[in-house]
Amino acid sequence: MAFLDSLTANLPKLLDGAVTTLELTGLGALIAAVVAPGLALMRAGGPKAAQLALRVYISFTRGTPLLAQLFLVFYGSGQFRAELTSLGLWGFFRDPFNCAVLVFAINSCAYQTEILRGGIQAVAPGEIEAARAIGMSRAQVLRRVTFPHAYRIAWPALGNEIILLMKASALASIVTVFDLMGRTRQIFSRSFEFSVYFQAAVLYLLITICFVFLWRLAERRLSRHMAAPGRS
Amino acid sequence: MQPQLAPEVVLNAQDIHKSFGTHEVLKGISLQSRNHDVISILGASGSGKSTFLRCLNFLEIPSSGTVAVHGEEIVFRNGKIGDPRQIERMRQRLGMVFQQFNLWTHRTVLENVMEGPVQVKRLPKAEARDRAEVLLARVGLADRMGHYPAQLSGGQQQRVAIARALAMEPDALLFDEPTSALDPELVGEVLKVMQDLAAEGRTMIVVTHEMAFAREVSTEVVFLHQGRVAEQGPPEKLFNHPDTEMFARFISKSR
Repeated sequence: MAFLDSLTANLPKLLDGAVTTLELTGLGALIAAVVAPGLALMRAGGPKAAQLALRVYISFTRGTPLLAQLFLVFYGSGQFRAELTSLGLWGFFRDPFNCAVLVFAINSCAYQTEILRGGIQAVAPGEIEAARAIGMSRAQVLRRVTFPHAYRIAWPALGNEIILLMKASALASIVTVFDLMGRTRQIFSRSFEFSVYFQAAVLYLLITICFVFLWRLAERRLSRHMAAPGRS
Repeated sequence: MQPQLAPEVVLNAQDIHKSFGTHEVLKGISLQSRNHDVISILGASGSGKSTFLRCLNFLEIPSSGTVAVHGEEIVFRNGKIGDPRQIERMRQRLGMVFQQFNLWTHRTVLENVMEGPVQVKRLPKAEARDRAEVLLARVGLADRMGHYPAQLSGGQQQRVAIARALAMEPDALLFDEPTSALDPELVGEVLKVMQDLAAEGRTMIVVTHEMAFAREVSTEVVFLHQGRVAEQGPPEKLFNHPDTEMFARFISKSR
């Protein structure tokens, strides 16, 4: 079994790469997830100027290739090395992993903002009125009614976005990050062993399957109130 | 024994105006509600009755006018909101029941009723739960506490909504067409609960199309027409000897 032998030989490096892939995706998605709710609220009903700025940001981010954005930050930051050094930021930008996380966070945040905005705007206005009528403050209404519903509505789309980000994270290998794709390319360049790409594909698939499973589990929990087992 | 004083004024709305754009929906409505009053607000659709009710707890901000709840007063000018804290505080004293129930669908029946006391009044959970259980038993839903709203009929949902409003121990209850969204066979169970509340002396303001309720349960009837109070008085007087042709037509049509 030549294939199994090659898999065993490659696995340590591939798994190491897979961990980096998970770190890239997880960090990027998490940072985006922290920022997106605030932006989504602003996008749904903030001041006109803020909405305009957000639309520009979102259409730029969604309308240009992720690879272009990655090059822009990774090679672009090199052009401003002196300035970044004087700001104490060069240490951050010289590491391609950091650049990739930053770009992924900015990119995913744009998508997550739009997805969440849709969720927020789909919350039943009556439930928000009921919360206001009982004397809740604006913050309480958001925390107790708006966001719980908005996340439930947006949940499947958010999961999709994270899967897309995970797969797109392979682009980081082009700016020398040794993620799963980076390790794969490294192995291939030494052995010209074609099957390593297949092995990598299987690992990507496994990651996706595990993620989808966990995401669905969470979705079922979030949807408890919707699974109405008939009136009794 | 309490001396027989005139019951105290719970809710006092003076000269409420409300415009949407250039369209003036309310053209100066005043209403005073004393303790134990049950006031029915009647009127054709478009007469402004729901808008007026929503102005009383500031779900609509009046363009101008004064709303006072137990003496705490907000004067509105140019449709501006003053202090949001004050609005939140005054809303806590007025329970609202909506036409579409508006239960929080992601929370169970029990959680719906506990939500206000726990989140807004900062009551300990155990105490809020005890109170909620008593109220739900009173509206006949003791066996539905763990259900989600989607698992209940409209009539049951509306009774939960009433329990939710009562849980805040409000000074007055506002009902916005509470039976209009219900199947005919479910209207009775909600009206029964409202009747019981009236009988125990709750202060209620009810926007309704239920003539029987207005006639038999309320202590006062207000008839709105095109954003103004067209007729007002005790139901026996209004229903038997209406002053205006309009109200006479209105009650004959809804019979």
